[in-house]
Amino acid sequence: MPILSLQQVSKQFGATPIIRAVNLEIEAGERHAIIGPNGAGKSTLFHLITGRHHLSGGAIRFRGEAIHNRPPYEIARLGLARSFQVTNIFHHLSVFENIRCALLWSMGYRYSFWRFVAREKRLNERTDSTLVQLGLSDLRHYPAGELAYADQRALELGLAIASGAELILLDEPVAGMSLSEARRAVALIRRVTEDRTLLMVEHDMNIVFELADRISVLVYGEIIASGTPEAIRGNRAVQEAYLGEVIDDA
Amino acid sequence: MLSHLLVWAGFAVTLIVLPLVFSSGLGLSILNQMTIAVIFALSYNMLLGQGGMLSFGHAVYYGLGGFIAIHLLNMVEFGTLALPVVFVPLAGGVGGLLVAVLIGSFSTRRAGTVFAMISLGIGELFAASSLIFESFFGGEGGISGWRDVGPTFFGVDFGQQIEVYYLAAFWVFVATLSMYLFTRTPAGRMANAVRDNAERAEFIGYSARKVRYISFCAAGLFAGIAGGLFAINYEIVTEENLTLVTSGEVLLMAYIGGLGFFIGPIIGAVLLTLMGSVVSDWTDMWMLYLGLLFVLTVMFLPRGLSGLIMMHGPAWRLGRLRWLILPYTITSIPAALFVLSLIGLIELAHSSADTFHYLGLPLATNSLISWLLLGAVAAVAWYGLRRLSPWLLKAWERANALPAMRGEESH
Repeated sequence: MPILSLQQVSKQFGATPIIRAVNLEIEAGERHAIIGPNGAGKSTLFHLITGRHHLSGGAIRFRGEAIHNRPPYEIARLGLARSFQVTNIFHHLSVFENIRCALLWSMGYRYSFWRFVAREKRLNERTDSTLVQLGLSDLRHYPAGELAYADQRALELGLAIASGAELILLDEPVAGMSLSEARRAVALIRRVTEDRTLLMVEHDMNIVFELADRISVLVYGEIIASGTPEAIRGNRAVQEAYLGEVIDDA
Repeated sequence: MLSHLLVWAGFAVTLIVLPLVFSSGLGLSILNQMTIAVIFALSYNMLLGQGGMLSFGHAVYYGLGGFIAIHLLNMVEFGTLALPVVFVPLAGGVGGLLVAVLIGSFSTRRAGTVFAMISLGIGELFAASSLIFESFFGGEGGISGWRDVGPTFFGVDFGQQIEVYYLAAFWVFVATLSMYLFTRTPAGRMANAVRDNAERAEFIGYSARKVRYISFCAAGLFAGIAGGLFAINYEIVTEENLTLVTSGEVLLMAYIGGLGFFIGPIIGAVLLTLMGSVVSDWTDMWMLYLGLLFVLTVMFLPRGLSGLIMMHGPAWRLGRLRWLILPYTITSIPAALFVLSLIGLIELAHSSADTFHYLGLPLATNSLISWLLLGAVAAVAWYGLRRLSPWLLKAWERANALPAMRGEESH
């Protein structure tokens, strides 16, 4: 059984269809990238999967359970976490506090107001080890809003992976980074998504071909091809629709 | 941990010692007012500072807590209830909590403007009903009662002001500690997270609405406790306690004191109580000064007075605070002169007597010379301030110069 399956998913804003009858299956453990030209609907697709938008039609299942049209927090609790294209962190909280908050629900703290976070040894240890994994230990006391861009992106990723979610969705994780920063970020993503399922949207083809086991190409709200990086590279329809010279460069 | 304990022990000792220092009737009455204001302002900050909910109607929970408390006191007096007066504030708190449970169930769906408008509407609704439902709110005269009724508490009947003070001091300690501890719990931490970014909080598993709702209910509880203490202290509760004026006052306290630090609202509550009692005794223009203080805080000290104090943290940790003593002392002379001459001008304009005595100076109110004199002092002081400010700024930068932060390096 696929960990995530989209059946005939469609979304329109007003009269404009953005996503048209998308079918997609993600197997547990794979690293799947969605590529496509600007405005193809990649981010919208992410918003539909994670509950930010409601569907106009179709169904989304996570481990067999229907998750479409449910609020984001219910979907997140099932073990599906995401990062955002535009950095979306808790600006006034410290880096440490950001990650600790991301761990709270998955560790069963819910809305409790009778336990003190400072006293919870396992919670703080897991926060520490997550920070080490992200390379943010030295910045733990700084307010998240004061970090440099690349560090904020690492924290953004950290908020997604901290809870130990089984399926992680990353929306353009290296957008706006310099080459060396992007390289570090890819190594980080590879490390922290080991033994998990990754679904990502990315523009940078070098990174897509480096990270992904499977690629789906989204053009005008439709998936026109899905397959291994080699198959996508050789696919004529994809080349015509979108890739072309990008591939030659790579 | 130890330093925390010391702070709380210091707080307790201060509460115990204060009435021994300010033992006059006026002193005690101001202290009682302060303790009530501190709880109320801290409860307000659970909404605004901690939870990001701008409320224009927090007096609803304070006022209702007060009305419930005064009705309980009356029931105790008539023997229908045997409740020691010590627990009346808690009963007011439960009242505030229950109302918050009801109102919060729909008002916490959104933060921002929607929440602010709903709070304003609810505030007006209760203020209007207070004049309609006379049996509960007592119309314009309010409801009064007696606090020295019912079973005594180990022989204390709270007839004396000092006894009321220690009752209020007990509750201010309990409430402050509870509100502080709340910020250290998962619900309290997530309140900050939702304040910063409600959307992201939902993607890490938390319903922003529920997080806000919990803070909202807790704020209602503590506002109700403050209201209960008000009822015991003044033995009268009127509709004014739940109107926009009271809601506005608590907003000013929290804001001027500073929303970002736990101690901020305490500073604001103490300062505004002093202004309302001591300064108002000296001049009936005190509301103008309060307004000016608020505007200046919003413009120049967005983190309030506590923010101004905490700004000195880095210099303190670097052991360079003493570098600032001289610049501060020197600059404070023209600053004080400037402020005093402005106050003089305002008071002169307001004075209705022929001669206005200001700081031992007899000023003729109808003579141009008084105006020119104060104006000249203000101008010279302003010039002095302008000349000194670059020097002050330099001293500040020197005291705060940090070794390069790692966050700014590329790595």
